[in-house]
Amino acid sequence: MALAHQFAMENPLIQAEAVEATEFRELAARHFVSGVPHTVINDGKSHLVGAVPEANLLAEIQRTLELA
Amino acid sequence: MPELLNEQTREEIRQVFKNLKEPVRILFFGTQEQCDYCSETRQLVEEVSALSDKLNLTVHDIQVDDLLAHKFNVDRVPSLVVASLDGQQVSDHGIRFSGIPSGQEFSAFINALALVSGRDSGLSQQTRAFLKNIDTPILLQVFATPT
Repeated sequence: MALAHQFAMENPLIQAEAVEATEFRELAARHFVSGVPHTVINDGKSHLVGAVPEANLLAEIQRTLELA
Repeated sequence: MPELLNEQTREEIRQVFKNLKEPVRILFFGTQEQCDYCSETRQLVEEVSALSDKLNLTVHDIQVDDLLAHKFNVDRVPSLVVASLDGQQVSDHGIRFSGIPSGQEFSAFINALALVSGRDSGLSQQTRAFLKNIDTPILLQVFATPT
């Protein structure tokens, strides 16, 4: 979680939300969250399952932006 | 309600908070309506923010303070926003918690407070350079569970 929050610090357009999956089951189910941590980018444009290093999260954001 | 944090945990957090640099505003959003974890979350952040004078907590009702909630993109309860506080100026960094930050999320919450207090992401120069140039909104939702 810390990593996503660190990313948010760099740009006001980046929002990083830690979601407690058992409290918000519908939201978790909508994004097919089964294991945690699970990162959802831009409401399902892409997903990262498991804890990932900085370079991987950055690469996934880049990929998401290219898809858009 | 009895205290959620025992004295040992409080002392550990106090040690971490010794390194806090700048003031932090924590906004809590709850509701008077049905909400399983609102009162417990509120109590937890009250106990945590009492451990450092650099932490400044404000408590809000998502229905009563709907304009504020909208300003901070808060549409779930309980929600926490961790922002910078400089004088009276609150600066949002997009850092949110939806649901109670307990269990594994508790350390994430403490880390977020330290992160915002330091006003620095700690990321590599390459990552910073890329993120700063992003001109469309990015939402990162990291799902976790307490255990």
